[in-house]
Amino acid sequence: MNQNLKKINIYSIYLGAFILVLPIIAFFINAFSFRWFYPQLIPKELSMQAWVRLKLIPREGSRTLEGFLDLWATNPTVIKALINSLTIGFVVTIVSIIIALPAARVLGLFNFKFKKLIIFLMVSPTILPPIAFVLGLNINFISLGFSGSFFGVCLVHLVPIMPYVVLTLTGIFANYNPDFEYQARTLGANKFKTFYLITLPAIAPGMVVAALFAFLVSWSQYLLTFLIGAGKIMTLPLLVFSTASSGNPALTAAISIIFIFPAILILFFTSKFVSGESSATSGFGKI
Amino acid sequence: MTEVNIVNLIKNFSGMTRPAVDNISINIQNGELIALLGPSGCGKTTILKMITGLLTPDNGDILLDNQSILSVPTEKRNVVMVFQNYLLFPYMNVNENVGFSLKMKGDDPKVINKRVQEMLELVKLPDIGERRPKQLSGGQQQRVALARALIANPRLLLLDEPLSNLDAHLRDEMRELITSIQKKLGVTCMFVTHDQEEAVLLADKIALIFDGKLQNFAEPKEFYEKPINVSAAKFFGGVNFIELNKNTNYFDSSIGKIISNQKNVDELHSKCIATIRPENIKISRENIYQDNFFKGKIKSVIFSGTHTRYKIVINNLNLECSLQSLGIQNINKEDEVFVNLPKDKIWIMND
Amino acid sequence: MGGDKTKIILSITPPLLIIILLFYGGIFYGLVQSLGYQPAIGKYEINFDAYYNILFSERYAKLFWTGLALNLWVSFVSTFLAAVLALFAALAIRKTFFGKTVCNFIYSLNLPMPHLVVAVGIIFVFSQSGLLARMLAQLNIISSPGDFPVLVKDKYGVGIILAYIWKESAFFFIILMSVLQSLGENFEELAQSLGANRWQRFRYVILPLVMPSLFSASIIVFAFSFGAYEVPALLGVIYPQMLPVMAFEFFLNPDLNARSEGMALSIIIALIVMILVIIYFWLTQTRIRKD
Repeated sequence: MNQNLKKINIYSIYLGAFILVLPIIAFFINAFSFRWFYPQLIPKELSMQAWVRLKLIPREGSRTLEGFLDLWATNPTVIKALINSLTIGFVVTIVSIIIALPAARVLGLFNFKFKKLIIFLMVSPTILPPIAFVLGLNINFISLGFSGSFFGVCLVHLVPIMPYVVLTLTGIFANYNPDFEYQARTLGANKFKTFYLITLPAIAPGMVVAALFAFLVSWSQYLLTFLIGAGKIMTLPLLVFSTASSGNPALTAAISIIFIFPAILILFFTSKFVSGESSATSGFGKI
Repeated sequence: MTEVNIVNLIKNFSGMTRPAVDNISINIQNGELIALLGPSGCGKTTILKMITGLLTPDNGDILLDNQSILSVPTEKRNVVMVFQNYLLFPYMNVNENVGFSLKMKGDDPKVINKRVQEMLELVKLPDIGERRPKQLSGGQQQRVALARALIANPRLLLLDEPLSNLDAHLRDEMRELITSIQKKLGVTCMFVTHDQEEAVLLADKIALIFDGKLQNFAEPKEFYEKPINVSAAKFFGGVNFIELNKNTNYFDSSIGKIISNQKNVDELHSKCIATIRPENIKISRENIYQDNFFKGKIKSVIFSGTHTRYKIVINNLNLECSLQSLGIQNINKEDEVFVNLPKDKIWIMND
Repeated sequence: MGGDKTKIILSITPPLLIIILLFYGGIFYGLVQSLGYQPAIGKYEINFDAYYNILFSERYAKLFWTGLALNLWVSFVSTFLAAVLALFAALAIRKTFFGKTVCNFIYSLNLPMPHLVVAVGIIFVFSQSGLLARMLAQLNIISSPGDFPVLVKDKYGVGIILAYIWKESAFFFIILMSVLQSLGENFEELAQSLGANRWQRFRYVILPLVMPSLFSASIIVFAFSFGAYEVPALLGVIYPQMLPVMAFEFFLNPDLNARSEGMALSIIIALIVMILVIIYFWLTQTRIRKD
């Protein structure tokens, strides 16, 4: 390749990368400077005030372990939202994997009548917008008493998550040879041992991707939580949205940083697994 | 019609202890069909990529008709490569695939159509122009790939393992097609392969390469009869090796005196190695007391259709011998026999 | 075989039931309500009033049609630009160079990032007193925030488009990188040896090879950006307003009569997306049949 062209090429990649991280830079500047007046590019002083106001970090002078514990014991909103988000995420992830696993195995290994129809029904929530079903569902949930409950929110999170978990695991099982299991059984392994020693290791990588993905979708869910939670279940995305709408950049940035932390962590550890062929990837577009 | 000269070609890759291509020189005459033969990783594909211009050599030169092509970009070299897996563009039909290079040149569509038809007739597939690559068999795909390469009137045609993806019965057919088209068009042609059989079947001359170094560049027959060293002999299926000590007019070995009428005895070191192909060893029940006669014992008899293979041990030295099964003497395991290594068939080389 | 059948039914039923009850049930209930059946406020009649109101009434028609135009504009432009930018990024980045791993990571960074956060990030960077405006002020290109164009909460949806480009280009990037990786460079090398120059290799080799994946990824992105709520809710204006936001606000309207309109609007959004996907499948099916 022409050397000059190659250089232009590489510099435009660097420029693109710089533009892409601009928002992240802005998040950190905003979160650690309380008065960042225009047209300063770099704030005059660092400040933890946003974190103090969110009751995540104690006031200066009491920043000891005890100070932190005392502060957090008052159960500030952010901590409450964080715990809610984590709990809902874990519950939904585990439930979706347990429900999807047998279905994915059947869909991946067998051919049967109506299989195409079932897959079509199963994947349609991936393409149709959530607003199409959640408005109607909301009214149903109110009359059933699920509205505003932890249970209702978990249930509605299953809708966007289930299709991807089923698809990802189906893909794994489609490339899985069940003869290994029969071999293990003929060698004397019982059903439980066969699952534990043969099936699980074979599907584990796919299961990890599916689980991380399920967690992230639940973690990022705004509209469904807002409607079904009916203001009683506060999660991090709801907090980000309301803080952003009220317009305090420092507080918004601080909550956002907590909010994006698992996303970056997950990308960091899964960049190996996440490729265009994995059906979970197509789900990332919807977070 | 092109004469190709590869001169002192060297290529290093970072992270490799030895050069991938180590000072290789090959001269290819007009219209010759040459094989670059060697195990995978020997550097043959690297040479091919340097000829097409996808890699730049660290040193040395590549000349077509005595003009260096190193400064010419790949797309202007008119050196065309046919890949091992054919790489027909899946989104084009056969006509579009074959006409690709003419379209890139900007030729008139009518001219392209005419040339495409000519080329498809040349590869004996005149009626499949509208089909997609997916609808073709492996053999058909390869012919289309060949037609697509030849339409550009390449100065040099490069083929990557041309027969290795084909079934045994297609190999003969394709070999005949490639050699006949190549001779008919007189195009200079070079192919790489790791399969000595493929090289022997197709090539006028073979360049044998180990670890980036050219071992020998000669006609196929020579690799069987007069290998240059033990590794070359083994690569062409040699199994019988006898260590020798050179004397004035004979050789000493662990089984006794060996006599050869080889002409280049002066070039041999004092320690050298003899080899003989299994089919050239003779066995008899009687001792005729000639040169190179040794007493041995049959260790195993393997019948394999037209031939029968015998494993013989002479004084701890194992030899393999292959005889035509038809009209064979009755020789069995554990029999004592006399083994003759004919002095015009034995080949002695330096290690 | 009887055992197998039972096993299949037992395995498939739980996830299918969740989707059918919650997803299709929700849509069905929304459909029923959009047709005016609202027992909660004593309406049992079935009619198309809500649809008529949205599409033709003086009160809502202008709002709806401008909203639809904005929706189509935002989805088309952001999908197209994200795909094009990602294609160039993927083509540039697949070659080895200093910092490739880091760049690869940064280009994929927005993939797991929630849309909500991307929208906030766009405010921080592109608002009139945002990071970009400050950078230009430092370079003396602009003097006051008013000199910087309104890119966030603007009536052309620029901020929304920017947010979707940010987020979805990462999605396109990952897909394209994996397609390019599995294709390898042999096709290009072959084309080059057949005399194709750089532009011809892009036009006649790379583009047709990545087009199927690029096209199906585009459908996913288009459908998503057409029906998503968060980004336009944060970065949009009251007029013109994107349809999902409009539907949601109708729904939350204290006047329960507007609820039917909200439901109707959400059904219309779903219908448009569905028609689009059907056209897409029809296109790819006929293409496959031609092959």
